[in-house]
Amino acid sequence: MARMKFLADAERCIECNGCVTACKQEHEIPWGVNRRRVVTLNDGTPGEKSISVACMHCSDAPCMAVCPVDVFYKTSEGIVLHDKDLCIGCGYCFYACPFGAPQFPQDGAFGLRGKMDKCTFCAGGPEPDFSDAEFKKYGRNRIAEGKLPACAEMCSTKALLGGDGDVIADIYRRRVTTRGKGSEVWGWGTAYGRPEKPPAQPGAKS
Amino acid sequence: MHGNLALRWVAWLSIALVAMLLPRFALAAEGSAQQQAERQIVQPLNNAPLWRDVRKGENPYQTTQVRGIETNVLVQTEGQIWREIRNGPVTVYGGYLLVLAALAILGYYLWKGPIKVHGQLTGRKIRRLSPWDRTIHWTVGISWLIMALSGLVMLFGKYFALPVLGYTLFSWLAILSKNLHNFVGPVFLIAAALMFITYLARNMPAAHDIRWLLKGGGMLTGEHVPSGFFNAGEKVVFWLGLFLFTIVVGASGLVQLFPNFDQGRVVMQYSNVIHAVTAVVYIAMMLGHIYLGTVGVEGAYDAMRYDGMVDEAWAKEHHEYWYNEVKGQSTAAGGAASPARAAAMKEGWKL
Repeated sequence: MARMKFLADAERCIECNGCVTACKQEHEIPWGVNRRRVVTLNDGTPGEKSISVACMHCSDAPCMAVCPVDVFYKTSEGIVLHDKDLCIGCGYCFYACPFGAPQFPQDGAFGLRGKMDKCTFCAGGPEPDFSDAEFKKYGRNRIAEGKLPACAEMCSTKALLGGDGDVIADIYRRRVTTRGKGSEVWGWGTAYGRPEKPPAQPGAKS
Repeated sequence: MHGNLALRWVAWLSIALVAMLLPRFALAAEGSAQQQAERQIVQPLNNAPLWRDVRKGENPYQTTQVRGIETNVLVQTEGQIWREIRNGPVTVYGGYLLVLAALAILGYYLWKGPIKVHGQLTGRKIRRLSPWDRTIHWTVGISWLIMALSGLVMLFGKYFALPVLGYTLFSWLAILSKNLHNFVGPVFLIAAALMFITYLARNMPAAHDIRWLLKGGGMLTGEHVPSGFFNAGEKVVFWLGLFLFTIVVGASGLVQLFPNFDQGRVVMQYSNVIHAVTAVVYIAMMLGHIYLGTVGVEGAYDAMRYDGMVDEAWAKEHHEYWYNEVKGQSTAAGGAASPARAAAMKEGWKL
């Protein structure tokens, strides 16, 4: 079974924010929630680099570990999903996440943050595939349609790759050998450096 | 003349040195960006300076279109540390502490049983607590209990309640707990402040408190140790619990209660750990207070719960100095037996 991963190629990203727009459009995401963002380093100086970042669907996800109600589960393809019905909106996943992925629809005064929202790798949630409830809570389920995440598919320079970790690693390896340098895959050590943890919720949809 | 020249040289040299060093200090922040730019010329595609910055999360030229808290930070490594501390020592040792505290109390109860008043009750009652004393005590007490129980659900519930209740039911409990925790919290803090003022004068440390503490209040030996209105144990609960722990738990809680003031994640992580550790110690300590205030000491609960009156024998047994004070006062005021005063005390308008 494939292990789904994201890969951001800093040599290729041109900071067009196409992935961000694609994500918002695909899932009809409300204002203030940003499942994906592009961060630019050394902005305005020679050698600046941009990286698109969202939930990386970590192998040993910190959000899963700290969640007081265990809303997270992992599909058989390693995609970290969550059940919004169970979410209490405590914000602990946001404290723990290295990538700043968890988002909240409310500002949080008196701890009222609403239900956590994050990148689903376009794989929906625990509701039945293609149901209205699934779309309203988690957005489109492209994985069930046999497609890959909209952000990566839409990327004009193919800087952002999403899919089977082995396949995208091969693509990246080819790029690196062609370039001759620069094999740093951003975020992979943090996201996939630890041994894979089993799905938290037993009997979760895979 | 010669010396003058040397001095001049020294002056020139120092100015030159400062001039050489100044731009370095000014460029310290830009250094990484500079390094990255230079590296691109000598070694294209070698982004080592850049990745170093990403790991440190300190690049001043890190920007993003997304507005929000720390959205320009690519990787925050502190989250992992927080996870290890919270899921590790805080949960594990915190859990041990609470279980051990409960077991110690149970053991004491089985060994010694409730502390009874020696000798006969006199039937003569004296006023110990005014209606306000009791109202504020229970406002704090009930809100504290809500905070403690809901907090325990959020820290430990996943391990003991979730397997029993299942996901849906436990989630309802946790949502209820979280909302109660967030809205009762401020009520608890205000009530605790009022309680602090109300009980402050009666909790001033006295010399005999040290003797009481050294003898452990006679809890183990059964020895009679006299005390004032409150014994030293109660004063410890007052100063350590109601004063210190409440301030620490309150401050660290408020930081987390209002994330809309844009505090970063590291501040939240620190607050969360401080909050959890203090709260667990607070709960462990208050278990003792709750035990002694209910089944542990005969007559204690009734006084706080119903009318604020205690038997003279109880007062002499547990708070002898206070008892003597009250008796002295009443004798001076015409004797406790005076019907008018007894009626007044029953009405509860005077101590």
